Parts: sequence; C-alpha cells; structure tokens
Amino acid sequence: MIEFKNVSKTYQNGTKALNNVNINIDKGEFVFIVGASGAGKSTFLKLIMHEETPTNGKIFINGTNVTNMHHRKVPYLRRTMGIVFQDFRLIDKMTVFDNVAFAMRVIGASPSAVKRRVPYILGLVGLKDKANSRPSQLSGGEQQRVSLARALVNNPLMIIADEPTGNIDPEMSYEIIDLLSEINKYGTTIIVVTHEQNLVKQFNRRVIEIGNGQVIKDSVPMPDLDNEADSSEGQI
Amino acid sequence: MSISGFGYLIKEGLKNVWNNRMMSIASIGILVSCLLLTGAAALMSVNVQQTVKAVGESNVFTVYLKQNVTELQAVQVGENLKNIDNISSCKFLSRDEAIKQYKKDLPEEIYQELIGQGNPLPNAFKISMADLSKYSDTVTKIKKVSGVDQISNKSDLAATLTKLNNLVSTAGIWIIIILGLISLFIISNTIRMTMYSRRFEISIMKSVGATNLFVRIPFIVEGMVIGLISGLISTLGLMFVYNILMSSISNLIHYDAIPFSQMSTGVLVAFIISGIAIGALGGIISVGKYLKKEGNEILGW
Repeated sequence: MIEFKNVSKTYQNGTKALNNVNINIDKGEFVFIVGASGAGKSTFLKLIMHEETPTNGKIFINGTNVTNMHHRKVPYLRRTMGIVFQDFRLIDKMTVFDNVAFAMRVIGASPSAVKRRVPYILGLVGLKDKANSRPSQLSGGEQQRVSLARALVNNPLMIIADEPTGNIDPEMSYEIIDLLSEINKYGTTIIVVTHEQNLVKQFNRRVIEIGNGQVIKDSVPMPDLDNEADSSEGQI
Repeated sequence: MSISGFGYLIKEGLKNVWNNRMMSIASIGILVSCLLLTGAAALMSVNVQQTVKAVGESNVFTVYLKQNVTELQAVQVGENLKNIDNISSCKFLSRDEAIKQYKKDLPEEIYQELIGQGNPLPNAFKISMADLSKYSDTVTKIKKVSGVDQISNKSDLAATLTKLNNLVSTAGIWIIIILGLISLFIISNTIRMTMYSRRFEISIMKSVGATNLFVRIPFIVEGMVIGLISGLISTLGLMFVYNILMSSISNLIHYDAIPFSQMSTGVLVAFIISGIAIGALGGIISVGKYLKKEGNEILGW
C-alpha cells in the first residue's frame, strides 16, 4: 500500500529530514510511527500526502509511483486518504454534521449522498446525537472523533493520524486509538504518528521508530495476540 | 462536476460576499469609483467624437478661382478638384450667386461699396473633406490645381478638433488601464482577505482531495458578484452624474449632448462585463498564490 524506496528528503534550508528510508506498509495494517521531535515523522507524512516531494528515492502508494506525480492528480491521491490532525481543524461556525459533510461536498458529493452517509459515520464514532452541536461545545475527545468522522466519510483506503492524541487527556487518547483499531478491522490501513510511548505500549501493533531521519526500529506485533490493549501491554 | 456540486460552489461564493461584507462594500465602492471615472471618460470621448464628426460633416471650405477663370473653364477645374482623394463633395458657386448671397447678408450701403464698379468676387467651389486630419495635405493638392487662387483657411479648427479627439481617446485608454489595474489590485486584496479568513477551510479542502478548481470557484464567484453589483451601481451612478452635468452644460452653452438613454444599454453591458471580468480576474490572481501552498503553509504555520 505504501512503499518508500531509499527515500531522502533535504529541505531548501539544508535540513536533512529523511535519509535513505525504506518502509513498506501493507494494506490493512495498523502502524504507529514514533520518534522524538524533529526526527522526521512529519516529513514522512508530508511525503505520503504529497505535500512534499523526496529529494531522492521513490514512493509508491497503492502500487502507483507518486514520487513526481502531476499536481492535477494529487487531489485524487488524497481522496484515498483520511487525515486526522492533532489540533482537530474543525470549523467552528459549522455544526458537527456540516464539518463532516464539508469533506464530502468539496469533492462534489451529491446532497442525497451527504444526507445518507454523514449520520452513518457520526453513528460509527458515537456522535450521532451531537450532529447539531458546534465543535466548541464538545470536549477534546469528542472533537477528535468529529475529525476522525470527517477523515472517514469519503471511505478512504487509509487513515493518517498526525499526533491525534496530542491535545486530549489519556483516557480519551485510549478511546481514540481504540476507535482507530475498530476502523482498522474493516480493512482500512491506519498510520498513527505519535510520541506517546505509553499509549503505543497499550496496543499490540507494528511500531516504526524514526530517529535522525532514519528508521531505527521496526517492530512487528506479537502474532498470537489481538489488539486487546490490556493483554498487549508491554509486549511490543 | 455535478450540478449540485456547482450549486454548492455558487452558494459558497455568495456566502463569501456576505460574510466578508465590510470588505465587499469597500471593494464595491472602489470598483464603482473606477468604473464611474472610466465611464465618464468614455462618454466624454463619445461626445467629443460626435462633435468632431458633426463639424467634419459640415466642413465646407471655399476654393476661390482666379479672376480670369470663366464659368466654362471652371467646369474643368471642378473635375480636377473632384479627383483629389480627400474631397468628399465639390459644388460650384458662381460669382453671381455669391454676390446675391452677400446682398442678402450685408447692409445695403456696404453692399454698394463692395460691388463699386462691378462684382469683385471670383467664381468658387464649396468643397468638403472626408478626413480633416489630412487638411494640410489636401490644401497643398488643391493649390496645385490650375485656376485655383486661394482656399479659405480652417486649418486651426481642423487641427484643434483632431488634437482634441486624439487627446480624449488617449486619455480615455490610460484612464481605463490605470483604473482597471487599481480595481484589480483592490479586488484581489479583498479576496485574499477572504481567503485568509478561510485558510482553515482551504487547508481542509486540500487535505481531503478537493481539486484546485473546486477551491477556486467560490472565490471567483465572490469576485464576479462584487463586479456585477459594482457594474449595476455604476450604471445608475453614471446616468445620474451624466444627466446633471449635461443639463448644466446645456444651460451655459448651446450644446446637444447625446442623451444617456441612447447609450444606457451599451454602458450597462460594458460595466457589467468589465466588472465581472475584473472581479473574476481578481479572484483567479489571489487564489492562484494560495493554491501553490500546501498543508501548514496555507495556515501560515
């Protein structure tokens, strides 16, 4: 699904963000990307989303070489991804329903499709009764669930969550990752960037650690355990 | 793009105008001022051109023949004059007809003194020129015709009218260019402010895979709506100002200005088209810069 082949990225100011990185993420996988600040995690995500292009190497997404993809094709690549941001990025003048519907409308979905799909997705993230609320009326965890609903609504092949628990309390953080695990069961590939090691330890998932622009650790989950958080604690 | 998708974008564009109403009003105000000045210059040019045309059409010059040229010889001179390029009409005026005219126009005493021992006037031709700007050239050609003595001098009038016409046209073009650029600058800044206030939405739109066209359309619609409103207001404004100005001028001097009603459709169409075009162009310019940005760059982080 996502393949980085000898990918390096050096920014114009000379900062070497990634150095000869090889990563392969299969369809349906759940992967944590961990690492310290400035390790290269954000650059890794930007390269997947084609917000940046690599200095060297090749990137394949869904079998397509997107390394130097034409800018006109980029929106269609992004439609295969749902992005969840640390700061939720919800529009407060819109209701929860409209925030989720917005993602559908801007890719030209019909009003009937919006009417059908949005309540279903809000039900999936447990916010059906909050459809008419404003984001500012919700807790941090609820806002992140709205953000997750928006990422899911266009039925993407993968969800990319950039520090999704950075602005919410630990209990809510667990709930969000648990929700992502549920979504993963439907076959959606999940990539979660985080620096919260404690949270990662609660889930038996593949962990890729990036440090100084390189993959310094790539640990696979224990094969005999499922994603039950309690039982997987400390076993990755 | 589906019809519903297009409808959504139009609605968003209209919402932009309303949500950003203070800036929209400022833009409309400036665009109306620019259109009014441009329109005033254009209408002035149209009026001057009509005056020049009217004077041009009544440009009758007298070509006096030498005293010894008989009426029979004058026929040949007339043929030669008609063969000159710029001469649109050429009519013979015999010395007898000319003196009769004088008799009608002058007091009896002066008339008697003028004729003295006989008619002092020569045979002549009344001619008109097709293009007054070629006056000097044509006069030179006329003077070369055998039998021609002199020609009444209207070179100053011809030159002044030609100069005035050129000046108004040139000034009109510069006014249109300069004010057009100012309007473009103001509208693109207004739309840039809308974009700044909506940068959050734009970053989300881009992250979920909205095409550049989809991001662009509401802002172009916003510019077009501002342009359309400005065009309508400017037409009404110009009608008001023009009518007041022309009635004041008519009170001072005898001048038949072109009535606004004769030009209203043209002005309305021109204002609406230019308003919409400037608005759309302003939208395209300001959005273009934003669309090159990605992710957090859009938010200025």
